[in-house]
Amino acid sequence: MRLNTLLPLLLLFATTVTAALPTFESPLVPRPLSAYTGAMQSGGPPKDGIPSIDDPVFRDASWGDSFLDDGDIVFGIHMNGKARAYPQRILVWHEIVNDSINDEAISVTYCPLTGSAVGFYRGDTGLGVSGRLVNSNMVMYDRDTDSYWPQILAAAIRGPLQGQGLREFRVIWTTWGRWKSRYPETGVLSDRTGYMRNYRNDPYGGYNPISGYYKSGSGPLFPLMNKDDRLAPKQTVLGFRTADAAFAVNLDTLRNKGLLQYKYAGRHFVVVHDPGLDTGWVYRSQDPLDIAPEGVTFGKNGPDNSVFRELTQVNAFKVMWFAWGAFYPGTNIIRK
Amino acid sequence: MKTNKSRVWPIAGTTAGYMLIYLFVIGDIGFGHYGWHWQAVSSPLTRMMEMRAAFHFEAVAMAELGRAVILISPGNLFVSAILGSLLAANILGALDLRHSECRLPGRYSISAGALPALLAGGACCAPGIVLLLGLPGLGAFIGLFAWLVPLSVILLLINRRYQRRMGAKTLLFSP
Repeated sequence: MRLNTLLPLLLLFATTVTAALPTFESPLVPRPLSAYTGAMQSGGPPKDGIPSIDDPVFRDASWGDSFLDDGDIVFGIHMNGKARAYPQRILVWHEIVNDSINDEAISVTYCPLTGSAVGFYRGDTGLGVSGRLVNSNMVMYDRDTDSYWPQILAAAIRGPLQGQGLREFRVIWTTWGRWKSRYPETGVLSDRTGYMRNYRNDPYGGYNPISGYYKSGSGPLFPLMNKDDRLAPKQTVLGFRTADAAFAVNLDTLRNKGLLQYKYAGRHFVVVHDPGLDTGWVYRSQDPLDIAPEGVTFGKNGPDNSVFRELTQVNAFKVMWFAWGAFYPGTNIIRK
Repeated sequence: MKTNKSRVWPIAGTTAGYMLIYLFVIGDIGFGHYGWHWQAVSSPLTRMMEMRAAFHFEAVAMAELGRAVILISPGNLFVSAILGSLLAANILGALDLRHSECRLPGRYSISAGALPALLAGGACCAPGIVLLLGLPGLGAFIGLFAWLVPLSVILLLINRRYQRRMGAKTLLFSP
């Protein structure tokens, strides 16, 4: 085969391989990539020693009631008209579920050490647990290129996709009782995972009631790239980022005020508390919004009011403060 | 060759006791409110060789027994049995040296079994203790915990040999 015939085919092949995992250019990476690979360390288990769930089985909400208490934590997604709940008690043993909803291939990921649940589009490939940590945060790898992705940073720090960002979608950290009230038709990830685990036991402690590693007052276990004492290490914040800055919302303040507005570099951010799910929704706006928090109503897609449909939603997720501050030094804290 | 029948039960009891503690600490035995249920993986031979961490193997079956749950992992059973039986041998050796024609003063004879025994305990418990205590920065050493099991086995073997040279009796059989 002549070179001028072969070259386009090779290029097409390369494009196909790298397009398998949906990525984007220039994610927010505050430090040189080598700093993250230098800070990467073993978390104990080997690669895939924490096995992802690759063939998830879902049951209905009545099964969920037999498996979960109303106060148990679930990670919920609502996508393409379908709702699914992923119990924390199962994900603490697997950390990644490679799933599909109406032909949309997704990964729901959870890092117990940083208390962060994030959703990623995965294309034709799957994500796995590398067994490595950065800032206590799980480093994932993709099975196509073996690039390494810290979950919170959502950017490849090593491998062929180095410097690329993963495309995210919203995962809601809430309780089973709250989730099934909003989405009674929800599916629930079942305990038939293909692995033998005691799903009634959390090796790190518990959230219902809160205990062990998750309690405020205890410190992180692994070294951090940056320590930020502005908030308590295990305090949960709602984190979000843009191309040039990172933000953390104090959840206690958000619960009290209902709606927070923040101006940064000429852009306005609106954060609204959803009392039904006890979470926050973040929007970017050209101008400050003139809306009272008590006037906001919520449906299956979040805030229902027409004013929010005009705005750009920014993905956000709950995370322990020490980890957010370690990845994003100087992050903007939204308190008022 | 005679069998020391009086030593069978102490050895079996110590080994079984250590195995129970080891399997409880690594999570293969748990207590709580469970149903009555049995399940097993579809390919046990492949699965039993997979490691969750260093010297920590995957389970191939799980039994829920009302107030307890047991994960059956042949690899973990083997590791705990090896450590448990070596620990039993070391404890009996230390007692031999204390009670019989001992060449060591009493306090030294006991300490002749203490350090390897401590390490054998740490082999299962160390990662759990790190999580329990939540000591900041201790996770940096978590990679070293992988060496605790082989280190414990080697030290228990060396110590047992040392005890024999100092006059400890054979375990089960005597000429």
